[in-house]
This record gives sequence, C-alpha cells and structure tokens, in this order.
Amino acid sequence: MSGLESLKDVALRPWPANKTDELSRDALLQQIEQLTSERGHLRDITEQSLQANIDAGKDVFNDAKEGSEDDDEEKEAPSMKERKDEILKMQREMASHLDWARFAATNALDLISLVLSADPNKRAPTSFSHTFREAGLNQGLPFGSMGVARENHEHHELKSEERQRKEEQQKRRDLVSKAARMEALDTATDEILKAARNLEKEVRRETKYWQEIVSISDKGWPIQRLRQNVRHVPFGVKYGLPEASDHFKARGFAPLRMDRDGSIILDPYLALKPKTLRVKISEGGKIIGSSQLPVESVVEGLAVEKSIRLARDSLLEEELYHEMSLETRQLLPYGVRLRDSVISADVPGTETSVTARQLLIDCIPRDDKIPDGQGHTYDWLAHSIAEALRLLLTHEHSMRLYRRTQLPSPLTARKQEKKSPPLLRTLLAMLHHLQRVDSLFIYLNTVSSTLRSAGFETPLETSREESWTKLRDTLGKSTKKDLSATDQLLDIFTKPFTGKATLTLPSSQGSQIEQLTIAIRTVIGAPTFGTEYKLALPSSLATDLGLSTENKFQSTTDVTSYLDWILSLHVAHRVLKNEYANRAAAKGNEARVTIASKGSKNGVSVKRDISVELRGGLLALHLSQESSQETHSWSGKGEDVSLKEQVKSWVG
Amino acid sequence: MHELLLYGQVSAARHDQVLKILAGFAAMQPRRILQRRIIYKPEREPEEPGSHLRRGGTQAVAVKQKLQATTPTQLYYTHLVQKLSEEDFGQGDSKTSDTLSADVDFEGGEEPRWSTLFEDIPDTGDRGVSIRFTNNTDLIGGDPHTFMTTSGPNRFVTEYYIEGHRFVHGNVVIFLHRILHEPGVRNLQTEPKVNPPAFEALQLLDQSGTYILEAKVRVQDFKDASVLESGVNELKGFQISMRGCVELSLPDRLTMDTRVKYTPPPGVVTKAQVQAQAQVQGQQNNR
Repeated sequence: MSGLESLKDVALRPWPANKTDELSRDALLQQIEQLTSERGHLRDITEQSLQANIDAGKDVFNDAKEGSEDDDEEKEAPSMKERKDEILKMQREMASHLDWARFAATNALDLISLVLSADPNKRAPTSFSHTFREAGLNQGLPFGSMGVARENHEHHELKSEERQRKEEQQKRRDLVSKAARMEALDTATDEILKAARNLEKEVRRETKYWQEIVSISDKGWPIQRLRQNVRHVPFGVKYGLPEASDHFKARGFAPLRMDRDGSIILDPYLALKPKTLRVKISEGGKIIGSSQLPVESVVEGLAVEKSIRLARDSLLEEELYHEMSLETRQLLPYGVRLRDSVISADVPGTETSVTARQLLIDCIPRDDKIPDGQGHTYDWLAHSIAEALRLLLTHEHSMRLYRRTQLPSPLTARKQEKKSPPLLRTLLAMLHHLQRVDSLFIYLNTVSSTLRSAGFETPLETSREESWTKLRDTLGKSTKKDLSATDQLLDIFTKPFTGKATLTLPSSQGSQIEQLTIAIRTVIGAPTFGTEYKLALPSSLATDLGLSTENKFQSTTDVTSYLDWILSLHVAHRVLKNEYANRAAAKGNEARVTIASKGSKNGVSVKRDISVELRGGLLALHLSQESSQETHSWSGKGEDVSLKEQVKSWVG
Repeated sequence: MHELLLYGQVSAARHDQVLKILAGFAAMQPRRILQRRIIYKPEREPEEPGSHLRRGGTQAVAVKQKLQATTPTQLYYTHLVQKLSEEDFGQGDSKTSDTLSADVDFEGGEEPRWSTLFEDIPDTGDRGVSIRFTNNTDLIGGDPHTFMTTSGPNRFVTEYYIEGHRFVHGNVVIFLHRILHEPGVRNLQTEPKVNPPAFEALQLLDQSGTYILEAKVRVQDFKDASVLESGVNELKGFQISMRGCVELSLPDRLTMDTRVKYTPPPGVVTKAQVQAQAQVQGQQNNR
C-alpha cells in the first residue's frame, strides 16, 4: 500500500529524445520495442491517434488509473499523529504476520527435515532450521525422532497409599520371581539328571558296542571303518575270502550296526540262512550216503561272531556250488547234469551195471535235518568228496592270489578269458582215473598170476599216479617260494593224472629183460577228453612181431584184448619158438606154433600145432595133432605143471 | 614290447610306510627282488652324427645307399640282468676256473636267471607317461658274459646291483628299489664277477638312501590305439591313486638316453676344425 503511495508523484515522461531529431537506428529499435511492450502492436501509431489517446486520457494505463482512485482516500487528509499511529500499528501488524509466517515456515521445514532424517541418507543438520539445530539437535535430540519429551522426576513424591500399593506389588513380584526361579532350577535339575542318565546310557551302549567290536576283532576278523561315517554304523566286518570271485567278494562285507542297547544288530547279509553243500551218493535211485555239515550246536562267544563265522562258511559253500554249476555246462558229455538246482554226475565204472551210481550235489540251508530212511553206508565217501571240493576251491583261491602277484603278461588286444576253476573236472578226472587204473591193474594182476602159475616169472609194477609216488622229492626241492606246500600238493590234482604199469615179459634165460609199459593218462579236457592208454612195447618184441612200438587205446577193454593177444603171441612166437629153435615154425599173426616132433629118423616128422590163448585171465594151450585135440589151461590157482613142461610132454 | 613308465621318489625314512601302503593297495605281500645288472658298450665307435648326409659331391650314388642300409647309425648300451637271491651274495672269492653260467634246469622247475635287456630312448610323444621300446631275452645256457662280448661285439663297462620290492596291481608293475654298487673296484674290472660280494660290502649309489618308485605297464600291441590307451589310463589311474603318498612324474626323456655318445677321435681333423684353422690363417695373412 505504501508502495502505491510513493507512486503518486510519478509522472510518465517521454524517453529523453536525442538531440538530433533524427533517430539513430538503435534508438529507433528501442522505440519500437517500447511501443510493442506498451501497446502490443504497432498499428495506428500516428501522430493523430496518439494525440487522440492523450486527449482521452489513455496515455496512462491501468496503474495510472488505480492511482487516480487512491486520490479519493487522500482527500480525507489525516493528521500527522494519526498517521504515525496508523503506520506504527501497521508495522507491528506486519511484523507479527511476518513472525508467524517465519515460525510456520521453520516448523514446516523442521518437520519435513525430521521426517526426511529418518532416512539415514538424508541426515544432514544443515536442512534444519537454525533454532531447531541449536535447541534440538545440539541438545541430543536424535534424528528421525518425534514426540520426545524430557521430564525431570527427581522431586516425584508418592503418596503413602500409592507407596504401599507399590510395595505390595513389589513384594508380590518378588515372590513370583522367586517361585519361578525355583521352578526353573527344578526343571534344570531334572534336565541335568536326564542328560546324565542319557549320557550314562550312551556310555554303556558305546562300551558294549566297543567290547563286541574288540571281541570280534580279537577273533581275527578284519574290522574296517565305513567310508560314509553314518551314525550308529561306524564299522564293518570283512569276513569274505579275499580271493573269492567278484560277486562273492562283494558279499563278504557287512556293516556292524549299533542297536539301541549297544549290541550289534545283525546285518541282513549276516542274518541270511547259512547254506551248506550236500553231496549225496545214490545207487539205483536210492540214497546210500550223504554228507552234511553238522548243525552248529555249541555256542561260544557272541551271537554276532557265530553268525559271522556261519556267513563266512556259507559264502564259501555257495561259491563252490556256483562255480560247479557253471562248470556243468562243459561237462555234459561226461554225464553231468544240472536239474532242479541239483548237480548230478555219473560215477564212472558203473554204467553197465543195473544199479547206476550217481553223485548228487546241491546247496541247502544248513539247518535242514537229514531226512530219515537213507542209507549211511557211504557217508564217508560223500564226506570225502565234499571236503575235497572245498579244498579245491580254497586252492583255487590261493592260486588266484599267486597268479595275480606274478608279473603280468604285456597288454594285447586279445582279452584273456577267465577260466572257471576245475572243481568238478578234477573230481571226475580223479574218479575216472582211479576206476580205469584199478580195473586195468586187476586185469594185469590176474594175468601175472596166471602166467606165474604157468611157469613164467612176470613181475608187475604198478603205480596209480606217478606224481604221488615222488611227491616228497618234488615238494622237497621245489623252487616255487611263493606257493605253500599245501598248494603245491593240491596243484598236482589239477594236472593230468598219469598212472603207470610195467609188466616184465616172460623170457628165455640169458636174454635181456623185456618190459611192457602201459601209461594211463586222464584229462578232462584237451587233448584226450578222458582216459588214454599208451602201451609201449619193447623194441625187440615189436620188430619180432612186426608191430609198432607205441599204441594208443581209448578204453580198458581195448587195451586188455590187445594185451591178451600180444602176450599169447609172445608166448607162442618167442618163448616156444626159442625153446624149439629149429623145429618150430610160427605162422602169421596167430598165436600158433607148429612144432615138428623130435628124433624121427625116417625124415617123416609129425607136426603138431600148438596154439596159445589168453583170455580173461585164463591161459589155454591147445594141441591139435592131425585128428586129435588136447587142451590144457591155467587160471592162476596153484597148478604145478608149467607150460613148457606141458608142451614138452606133448611134443616130446 | 613297449613299456609305459612313471617314476617317483621315496625317502629312506618313508620307505617302510610306503611299502605298507603299497602292500595294502595291491593286496599282496611285497616280493623281494635282487638283481645284478651288467652294462655293456659296443666295441665299435658310433658314427659321427649327420655323417650319412651327403657332404660334397659323390660319384658313387647307387653304391652308397646300399651300404647305409646294412650299418646301424645308432649304437646303444645294453644290459645283462641276473636275478639273485639272498644266498647268492658273499659266497667268497671265486676261483679262476669258475665261470658264469646261465644253464637252466627246466625239469626241476627252474626259471631262467639271466637275461639280456635292451632299452631304447623314450618316445617323443606326449601322453603323460614315458613310453619306450624294450627287448628282454632270457638266456638259457652258456656263459652270458661271453655271449654278450661276442654278440655285438661288446665291451664290459660296469656292474651294479638293485635291491627292492615288487608289487603287481592289475597290469601295473610297481617296483620300489634302489641301486647299490661295489665301491672302489669299478675301474679295475674288465669282466663281471662270478660271485657277487657280500651284501653288506655294497654301497648305495645315492648316499641318502632314497628309493625309486617305478610304475610300469608293459604293452605288446603298441600299434593298437585302444590297447595303448587302456594301458596309459591304468598307469595314470595308479598315479592318481598314489597322489599324496608318492608323486609320480614323467622323467626327462634325455636322462634315459641309452645311446652311445659320439666323441670325435683324437687326431682326426674334422671339417669344423679345418674351417677354423683356415680362418685363423686368413686373418694372419691379412695382417
């Protein structure tokens, strides 16, 4: 308002003109600018129109008009004092307004600053007003705070009732807290006791577990830490044989789980029913002998140990059965069958008889009772066979270790196939060999005794298996340090069996001792696939009779008939012919000698045919003389007449 | 036959520990090995390297190629290996009439004790293992020393002994051993001793007593990539298994060189010497 009053004396005057009438260019531009700003346009700006405007009072615009209105108020013309008061009053009013505005503005500023200062990024004291900074922030008012009040309670006096009430409250609170503390202590004791009990149980449990572990370990079972350190299963026991085939090797390990009371829980592997190999011998469909491990009755040591031992035994038996059942596939030609998980094998030598003997091998739970109604006469044989098979498998195990530790052959593209261990093969070869050898030796013995009774000395030497006779020597000077004597002994059984018989031939005095040698060789597999007889004749006999020195035969009957023939030939062609050197004449391939009678003076000699026949241990001598025939025979039972004497009596 | 090889070192203090670890790893007892090795050098000096290359002009082109085919350019040291047992050591001084004998009693189940061993310089291939060609031939009769000296002809160089233990893990043959020699007599000997000296009289070649761990896979079908690969993998598998126990590494190829080095004979003027002389003379003339 006061501003307007000061404008009262102001009059608009034209811009001071240039001294020259002529407007300079700048001045002209200024003019135009002024005109534009005053009028907004440059139209109708002529001297006349401007003059008209001046006349109409339009030279002063709005401001000037207002000023002219104020003129009316001033007409009242106040006095000086009045005016001063009014001014003072107005000043005060204005000051109070300004103060209030300032106050409101700072308040708003502080409020917003305070709100913003809640954000840690915006904590700048500069944004607050000066007074707030002085009175608030510097006095410890925190940022972002609102509604803080500071009071002084020093002189707070309570009234007596209130104090009483408060004390009572306090007392009650103390009681409650004491009770709560007691209760807490109580439960704490309980907890500690419980923990102690738990600990004791745990200790007892651990002790028991460790005792069992130690006891198992002391028995010689290798204990092994499990790789995954599972709680309750810290250890496992390895009971499988280290050289078992892969499948059984993996089964030979069981974790030793801890039970709730600390004893060891049986692993499913250990808890499996132990199995055992059973060998039965049947004759004509009737069981006449069987082998079975006795059911373990004596319980010594822990149950776990017992079951570990049983599991180990069972593993061996199962592996044995497994290997044998694989082996049966190659042994079909030898009469080995696998039917209904029973391996049956023909015992050689009884094929012809009505009551064929068979071996039946199966794997049964160990606890099974032996059914009644069986013969027990051949239990010993069944037992021996079962034990032999077990020994052969353990031998195979140690041979696996031996082979593994030898220098490996260089790598080639050809993969070496794993051979299944010879268990049944060895057994069969053994049975075959013994049967063949025995039957041949029985024959040779009868022949020998028959010949002896006929006056020929034919000593016979036999050995069923060559390597057995010189066993001590071979084991004594063996150079294989890596193999134990047991394994070297068992190794003999996996090699071909070779029996040998030497028969000294009857001969005339003074001549060289001549011997027939028969080697009997049994292999289940290449090259002979069974038994082979190799008969070696002395070279002189072979040349005399025109035969080859070595002959091979496949069966006992072949070799015995050949021997019959050879021996009778020998007696006829060599012994008798040498006896009657000039008078005897041998014919062809028959054991027949023609002997001319002695001392006939007229040149007509009587010729007598004498033929020798040896068959089935019976030596027969036939004399055919023109029409008459005579026969004399020896069977090896104490005849006193020798063959030579008999011939002499006939021939003279 | 080719050998894939890796070598590691075991200090004497750790020997027993490593022996036990290996026994557990291979699941077998260590097998004690004692060997004598006799080194032979060819009598003939090797040709000068690069002598087969044509130098200067020649007039007999056709004849020369023929000659080259018959003479080997490289000559190698060869070994004679004798398997020994503890009893063989220290059997006293040998009489002059005694000779080495490689006779084998096959009937009595003996194995040949003597063998000749040829080892080539390792291949240059980079498969992470050392690969070399070897040839091992058992001798089954006669005097091995005479055999070696006449076939070649070779000259006796020296003999040394190897003692250690052998393990077999799959196809990897692990041989933890160290080398012994008889001190002092090396330069005087002209032929191998008939009887080895007492074991106690032998000295370690490496005085610290460090053992060498040799891991070896032998490969017959070297040309078959899959066979070679499987061998290499098996050996590397062993290397990884032994990590932290014994660090097996690939030896420097040139340290296993078995070739006879060429030394220019004294008195013979080589081409380089002639050139050098000519230069010196030229300089003198210029002055």
